[in-house]
Amino acid sequence: MSGTAPATYSPSPTMQNKKRAPIFTDVDWVRPDGRGFRQCRGAFLRTGAANAASGSAYAEFGNTKVIVSVFGPRESKKAMMYSDIGRLNCNVSYTTFSTPIRGQGSDNKEFSSMLHKALEGAIILDSFPKTTVDVFALVLESGGSDLPVVVSCASLALADAGIMMYDVVASVSVSCLGKNLVIDPITEEESYQDGSMMITCMPSRNEVTQLTVTGEWSTPKIHEAMELCLDACSKLGDIMRSCLKEAASASQE
Amino acid sequence: MMGSANSGDLSSEMEVDAFRRLFPLRFHERHLLESIRPDARMLGKARDTTLALGAVASADGSALAKIGCTTMLAAIKMEVMTPTAESPDMGCIAIDFHMPPICSPTVRPGRPAEAAPVVSKQLSDTILSSGMINLKDLSLVRGKASWMAYLDIYCLDADGALFDAALLSAVAAFSNLQIPIVALNDDGRVVVVSEENEGGKLKKEPVNKEKRKLKLSSIPFSLTCILHKNYILADPTAEEESIMETLVTVVLNLSGQLVSLYKPGGQFLAYTSAIQDCMALTRQRVKELKKILDEAICDMEMD
Amino acid sequence: MLVQRMEIDRADGRTPNQLRKLACSRNILNRAHGSASWSQGETKVLAAVYGPKAGTKKNENPEKACIEVIWKPKTGQIGKEEKEYEMVLKRTLQNMCLLTVHPNTTTSIIIQVVNDDGALLPCAINAACAALVDAGIPLKHLAVAICCCLAESGRVILDPNKTEEQRLKAFVYLVFPNSIQSVLPEGALQVGGEPYEHGIITSVTHGLMSVDEYFFCLERGRAASAKLSDFLRRSLQLQVPSESSKTG
Repeated sequence: MSGTAPATYSPSPTMQNKKRAPIFTDVDWVRPDGRGFRQCRGAFLRTGAANAASGSAYAEFGNTKVIVSVFGPRESKKAMMYSDIGRLNCNVSYTTFSTPIRGQGSDNKEFSSMLHKALEGAIILDSFPKTTVDVFALVLESGGSDLPVVVSCASLALADAGIMMYDVVASVSVSCLGKNLVIDPITEEESYQDGSMMITCMPSRNEVTQLTVTGEWSTPKIHEAMELCLDACSKLGDIMRSCLKEAASASQE
Repeated sequence: MMGSANSGDLSSEMEVDAFRRLFPLRFHERHLLESIRPDARMLGKARDTTLALGAVASADGSALAKIGCTTMLAAIKMEVMTPTAESPDMGCIAIDFHMPPICSPTVRPGRPAEAAPVVSKQLSDTILSSGMINLKDLSLVRGKASWMAYLDIYCLDADGALFDAALLSAVAAFSNLQIPIVALNDDGRVVVVSEENEGGKLKKEPVNKEKRKLKLSSIPFSLTCILHKNYILADPTAEEESIMETLVTVVLNLSGQLVSLYKPGGQFLAYTSAIQDCMALTRQRVKELKKILDEAICDMEMD
Repeated sequence: MLVQRMEIDRADGRTPNQLRKLACSRNILNRAHGSASWSQGETKVLAAVYGPKAGTKKNENPEKACIEVIWKPKTGQIGKEEKEYEMVLKRTLQNMCLLTVHPNTTTSIIIQVVNDDGALLPCAINAACAALVDAGIPLKHLAVAICCCLAESGRVILDPNKTEEQRLKAFVYLVFPNSIQSVLPEGALQVGGEPYEHGIITSVTHGLMSVDEYFFCLERGRAASAKLSDFLRRSLQLQVPSESSKTG
């Protein structure tokens, strides 16, 4: 029945065909959601989103909604040699309705490996030898800056599962639009960007676990963007820690 | 097999948690003798159920349903298709049920869960045969264009009675559905009439101004029960489903008709009296679920 | 008068309660441990049984025997519908088999559809049951499967063909245990006032019906299952002497 589904199209206008909006070329323009250039979206974080998992977290940054479950440490499914340290296994997938046009999502290999690299440095892998910790993320709605939200949410879920870490991992991205730098970009801004930078870091140790830069950047711009990201990360780290403390004190009562 | 007297002694010395893991069946049967379940529910009682409509902003209709810990997120996206020659004035509904790896420790990425296609098929059968939606309501321009409603249901947390929760979320998503206003453009394609230019220069006449909402008649609701010896346990958790394997799912619609009676095998046989008991429990549950759905719609309209 | 009108309703001239011609042959495949073909009119299914083989599949209880069902459609790829058939068949066979006799083993049942002309799943269940007997897998009881079709007027016709299945408003697949011939006195195998073979192993419904209509189907299905039971028993007994002479 579903195999013979007729070809369909979405009646809403597609974004790719549109030219870059002229407003972004000016120095003074307002972001589509009315934020300042250096203002992040409001973040909502909560642990314990899925009961079946050892630990889980839900994150909502504007329209970006992500749920992450952590399973394990448990037996490694792939036949592996003996190893003194634990294995980390990451997977990021999208729901079919996460993007404006249906079915662009599903499994995202690139994000999966980037999530792995971002978390690997923060987890004390020696603490669970021979076993695997699985980190599975599902992007319920994609509203821009998806990967940074996934990384922050995953680190929260790891903490909820009681996996030992050096610090929580906070992540923020910055888009370069003409002369301007905008932090925590939404999908529309990301589609017009000239370059983007994403930093994942452990705020209290002041260590960066991953730094990704794409597009055209001048050296002073890179410095400025890094400052911006690190500052936002440390603030996000505080929010994450308070979320964990809240959950811990609630469970004690 | 150990002698029952022997292990009975053992159980009194053992911690409850260890007993639960080692002798899961006896742990549950001991509860059943007292007419109570490990989560303090009565046998015929379903878990707390909540509904939230409009959970997904990027979809045309959506709902989040929770039965106990089992969580389902359903979202509908409307797309346009050319209807087939046999039914030029009908739309179509495509239903898919997903179990992403986040929902259960038994699901791994790349390997879809065994239960997912089965629940998916059951949902399609139930929703299409229940008569809830008249597919003619999904027609736009006869013979030229009609709606294809893509309904995707994601299981976010799997803790038993997956079908019940999935059906509830699907029904709620349809009642939340807001069909976009569209018009035919010069190329014969259907495009959304955006809110902004509606006031000013409206060149094209919308083709579906009155049909923003689907009319839902005789909505189906379901209840899954476990048959175990002479006991009937309504709305089982994942643990109960894994230990006592005989499941009966009854789907009734609001006009009291039977949409589905699904008993796929299992250790115990269902006799007429057990089937009647399951139906009675379902009738009660349908009333509860109808109330929950009505309240959710009311809350949505208040906001 | 009424009876005559009902007879005309079926394209092949059958009465509502009349089943299509049944045929069952066993031991038709050399390499399988057990095999059977089962046909009801134009619907024909082959079933092969391999096992018990050592070990269970992942996540299965090693204290019990594991049953695996593989569905091979006549043409093309396996879809959602076939996945559902596999699950229903697996759970139905789990009910029949004595799973504790061979713990930590897997028995595979392969179902090959030869031709589908309605009542496919019941036909496959009957074929699998005969193949399990042929393979000598320990069983609690046999099972018989039947399809009841419900017309708009509320009448029930048994064992429909494909066109009847599609045309009529609803149908029910029912599986009952085979009637037991035992030395126990009459009524010893009653469960809550009902004979043992009236218990439903499997019920799958399609289409809207009233609750009363379901129970009506149930009643007719039970009546027909007695006939099917007899046929199954006869066809399984027939081949026993030839088999023992072959081994002896």
